[in-house]
Amino acid sequence: MTDATAHLARHLADLQTWDSEADDTLVCTAVVDETHDVRTFVFEPPEPRRFAYRPGQFLTFEFALPSGPVNRCYTISSSPLRPHTVAITVKRVPNGPVSNWLHDHCAPGTAVKAIGPMGEFSCLDDPAPKYLFLSGGSGITPLMAMSRAFADLGRPVDVVFVHAARTPGDIVFRAELDLIARRLPGFRVAHLPERAGGEAGWAGPLGRLSAEFLALVAPDFKERSVWCCGPEPFMNAARSLLGALGHDPRLYHQESFDFAKLASAEPEVAAEVLDAEAAEAAAVPTYDVTFTKLGQTVKVRADQFILAAARDQGVRLAASCTEGLCGTCKAKIVSGTVDMSHKGGIRKKEVDQGLFLPCCSKPKSDLVVDR
Amino acid sequence: MLDTTSVSPRALLARRKPGFSLEQAFYTSQEIFDLDLEAIFFRTWIYVGVEPDVPDEGDVMVVDIGRASVLILRDDDGEIRAFHNVCRHRGARIVHDEKSSVGKLVCKYHAWTYDLDGKLLRAEHMGADFDTSCHGLKPVHLKSVEGLLFICLADEAPADIDDLAEKMGPYLKPHAIRDTKVAHQVDLIELGNWKITMENNRECYHCAGNHPELTIPLFEYGFGFSPESMDETKAKEAHRYECMVDDLHGEWEGSGFPSKEIDHLDDRVTGFRTQRLPIDRAGESQTLDTKVASTKLLGELTEAKMGGLSFWTQPNSWHHFMSDHIVTFSVIPLSPDRTLLRTKWLVHKDAVEGVDYDLKRLTEVWIATNDQDGTLVGYQHSGVKSPAYEPGPYSPYTEGLVEKFVNWYCLRLADHLG
Ligand SMILES: Cc1cc2nc3c(=O)[nH]c(=O)nc-3n(C[C@H](O)[C@H](O)[C@H](O)COP(=O)(O)OP(=O)(O)OC[C@H]3O[C@@H](n4cnc5c(N)ncnc54)[C@H](O)[C@@H]3O)c2cc1C
Ligand code: FES
Ligand SMILES: [Fe+2]
Repeated sequence: MTDATAHLARHLADLQTWDSEADDTLVCTAVVDETHDVRTFVFEPPEPRRFAYRPGQFLTFEFALPSGPVNRCYTISSSPLRPHTVAITVKRVPNGPVSNWLHDHCAPGTAVKAIGPMGEFSCLDDPAPKYLFLSGGSGITPLMAMSRAFADLGRPVDVVFVHAARTPGDIVFRAELDLIARRLPGFRVAHLPERAGGEAGWAGPLGRLSAEFLALVAPDFKERSVWCCGPEPFMNAARSLLGALGHDPRLYHQESFDFAKLASAEPEVAAEVLDAEAAEAAAVPTYDVTFTKLGQTVKVRADQFILAAARDQGVRLAASCTEGLCGTCKAKIVSGTVDMSHKGGIRKKEVDQGLFLPCCSKPKSDLVVDR
Repeated sequence: MLDTTSVSPRALLARRKPGFSLEQAFYTSQEIFDLDLEAIFFRTWIYVGVEPDVPDEGDVMVVDIGRASVLILRDDDGEIRAFHNVCRHRGARIVHDEKSSVGKLVCKYHAWTYDLDGKLLRAEHMGADFDTSCHGLKPVHLKSVEGLLFICLADEAPADIDDLAEKMGPYLKPHAIRDTKVAHQVDLIELGNWKITMENNRECYHCAGNHPELTIPLFEYGFGFSPESMDETKAKEAHRYECMVDDLHGEWEGSGFPSKEIDHLDDRVTGFRTQRLPIDRAGESQTLDTKVASTKLLGELTEAKMGGLSFWTQPNSWHHFMSDHIVTFSVIPLSPDRTLLRTKWLVHKDAVEGVDYDLKRLTEVWIATNDQDGTLVGYQHSGVKSPAYEPGPYSPYTEGLVEKFVNWYCLRLADHLG
């Protein structure tokens, strides 16, 4: 048997459901390019498990960035009817620390931590005979999960799937959506690029969401339960357009990927994320790190690098490489202990004398530093 | 009185009278001081310290010679290396303390980070095309002679250091310099030209009158004497010394410790001289009671009465190796009239202060002697500046080795001037 086959055999045994409270580790198994700046990352637990979630739900991840652990939410884009893996589909955000780290460093074998699933943005929570899915950019992910679930069952549906993108080249899941539309009775797709940019012979509509466009792709939109996800301006425009055209606001659902916005619109969802993060963080103790010369004390979690955490809290410490190579950040421990993983920036002799490198050390107790 | 201020160094050298001290300008002129650095200190092998100055990986010592600053360090493989202490970015000095311990060498200015093998590891903001491999620290020639560190700042270093190392190896080995530690170091600034410091060291004519402590263990006769000008007691002493040398050399050489004189002070570029000298009274060490100062003997030595192995190098060092400790001296010119004399006392690396040795007993003879010599150097320099100074004659008996030092110096200068 080949490795893949052996692996498949393990998955076909009786599987327990994945429980992030028992084991929150996920391992990347595949990375797929969707567009020039969107990638899908497929994960499974270290031991085969089944994922149980409603399409549209998300996971809260903790990524071990070089600067320390960072939390972000990502919607599961894969189908819950294919429960052996979960996939997230991530768009690069210019200068975004996490999305870029995922694109540049997450590869098969990379372990991440995740908790969930959580979230209320699922058509399951408000069943309706007809749907209008409105998606913009990376907001396609929850709607894709729902569509894939329908497609996996194969029963006729009434879904109009609208995806707004900058150019045809930015349409995520283009081929797969077209395939679903061909095979699933009642599933229609309307791609809406803003401009033709790059693709010669684009035959479909161009521009932004408008009354004319709606009249064209879903003349019965007033009867449809609307599920909208995308950039804030996109969702704002969609919502006011529908309102102005007399669509019943009770049939309108949206989800924001901006966590602050999500928190104000859907406090219960945000609370769920924060609770989960807090539970996660509670497992990791937080220590007081005091810098005697600066006269400042900061809180540093046992899984954070002291220098990065101090900087986040406004304490400026001299440093250069921030990876334990140059020794610029060297400081003396007055009391307490740390867990240091340097790259030669400090000598054993110096460590014996109580020196350490805050850039690559995590606290193991409260700490007093002569700085 | 000779007016030498307008005469070129070449002409001064040409008219130098053998057997006489140098003309005034050699001791006082800035021009000749600068020339000394170029012709001697930047071209020949200079003694700068010992391997135990950098005992562990990452230990760094800075030695400044004139406008040059040199890093001597032990790399991660335990290898000793020397580099110019100059950042390849904008030239800042990298290490500032005489002794330190580092993980990497990091220039404080812009944090260019070098590995201990001199490779540039990291330079932020230099762009993707920047080739770090062309910007490593510049190496300096380094030769460890049984643990004594010599550097040479010339592009091409005199090759005869290898011969020196080969000849000196058997003499130095028993004292196991690499297995010692620096128990004490004193930096003394003498108010005189560096050549005056060296000349002072190369004779013991002045010993009886100035060194009450040193002459307890050390015989003044070890560096020559004139039999006819001595009274009966002195003649008897000198004879006793000569018999002692004969006996002890036979004894030492017989048990595998080379002791006989080798003198290449002025017949080669890397000039040196060695001889194992008897020690008076208890015969053990250069201490006030002539007994060992450290009860932990060096290396594999089991016999305390090993005399004092004297080793000199041109232009800037002398050393005394005893059974229990080593005293090493390095001379570095600072200005025409200021000279650094750096003295280090080494004991067995496992010797514990207060248990195996007492620091005061270990160091008191040479602290007193250096102090006395420093005063004498100052006396000579202040007199040499005077308009009345003119070169005086060396004693053919007790100042022959001074003449050899001066002769070597003049040969090196002549060689440089071409
Ligand atoms: C419920 C939910 C589901 C989501 N699902 C998806 C999905 O399926 N696909 C998807 O691509 N995205 C999704 N997101 C968005 C995702 O969580 C990230 O916000 C997005 O990937 C960008 O993250 P980032 O770290 O790269 O940039 P951001 O965090 O957005 O950063 C943007 C800018 O803010 C600054 N910034 C923000 N936080 C920090 C910080 N901690 N430290 C320093 N600078 C900071 C950065 O300078 C950057 O320029 C979802 C969000 C939510 C709330
Ligand atoms: S900043 Fe370079 S070692 Fe910490
Ligand atoms: Fe003297």
